[in-house]
Amino acid sequence: MHNSSLKALSIVGALLIASLFSPAVLSKGVYQSGPEFIAQTFAPQQPQAKALWLTPEIRQRAESILDRQVPGLRVRYHILDNKSAWILEEIGKEMPITIGVVVTDHKITEVKILAYRESRGGEVRYPAYTAQYRGASLQSNNRLDQSIDGITGATLSVWAVNKVAGLALYYHSQVVEQAVATN
Amino acid sequence: MKITKSIVFNLRWHRRIGLSLFFMVIFLSISGFALNHSPDLKLSKVKLTSSWLLSWYGLPPTKQQGYNIADNWLYNRGTDQLFFNDKTVSHCPSPMLAAAATKQLVVALCSGTLVMLTPDGQLIESFNQVQGLPLDSQKVGSDDENIYLITSTDTMLLNTFNLSLSKIENPSKLVINSVAATRVPPGLINEENQEGISLETLILDLHSGRFFGNAGVIFVDIVGLLMCILALTGLWAWVNHQRLRKQKRL
Repeated sequence: MHNSSLKALSIVGALLIASLFSPAVLSKGVYQSGPEFIAQTFAPQQPQAKALWLTPEIRQRAESILDRQVPGLRVRYHILDNKSAWILEEIGKEMPITIGVVVTDHKITEVKILAYRESRGGEVRYPAYTAQYRGASLQSNNRLDQSIDGITGATLSVWAVNKVAGLALYYHSQVVEQAVATN
Repeated sequence: MKITKSIVFNLRWHRRIGLSLFFMVIFLSISGFALNHSPDLKLSKVKLTSSWLLSWYGLPPTKQQGYNIADNWLYNRGTDQLFFNDKTVSHCPSPMLAAAATKQLVVALCSGTLVMLTPDGQLIESFNQVQGLPLDSQKVGSDDENIYLITSTDTMLLNTFNLSLSKIENPSKLVINSVAATRVPPGLINEENQEGISLETLILDLHSGRFFGNAGVIFVDIVGLLMCILALTGLWAWVNHQRLRKQKRL
């Protein structure tokens, strides 16, 4: 009799141990470095990094998109013709998520999670999720014009990616505006 | 006979597990109760500053080391925040490794992050390993115009505008100044910035086992597992007891 109960206990134990190694728990990591992301985005060319200086107006809009203060005086980006790439960070729950965003002609062409440091919610890095941002542009109310399906258990990470996608679109528009003004 | 054997086996293990968990169950219950009522008990307001506790948590002792650049102090107090005098300016993972300055720029090298500030302490931007900072960055130095990044093998010139790094072929020919770490004047550090561990954090870390690192977490996991087994053996004892009573009635 007790053999069967021991069997049941060992199954429960195995399930508990297996849950510790589930993908959700093991979602931390650096998936691609910034330089690799830039090289891949613009291959075979390699544009130099440029900086967008945050004027009070740009900072104000950026803060309303992120719904928090924006630190720093400038933001780095790479641009070639009408395509720009941004590596931005936003906190999901407690730790910053490093996100690469490529914008072409005011529309997102790629979103990639470069580093995810939270213990849960790393599903946002899956291509099936990030593909939803393709073609999205920014509306005047700071929201994307496409609806993005959330992920259960990763709400804060989803919000963080949405904000960063919106911010990259806004920064891109400012870069284009400045280029037009200069010309 | 079979039921009796099962009862003896089950109760033997129930007793053994119960006895081995005696102290842990009491401790986890009390600490769980304290955490559950933490806001009422104001545990987060109680700051513990014992030196052994601070050193256990990897926080700096009261003698804070920092970098004095043009009469401004740059330090990170063992936390992940960079201070410019008494203000927090940026995220800066501990430990802080070095600082340097030119006329236009102040640079702090933390673990895996380089932070650039204006001479009056405004954050310009930060640059981390994901963004291309070499993994083995050890030091920063400067001459009047340039910032140099020193890794375990190379000395590199940092282009502070586009953040590109170019290797210096003959660094011995350069005069690279570095700032030595010295003690931050105690009066500079705000009471609010004074390091301490809240009683809530301590109890939470003890409750979860994190206080003893990964081994502690695994230990508490095992305790949790044993508590489940204890509940199951308790339930099994009750089932066996019912079956025995039924058998006796027959």
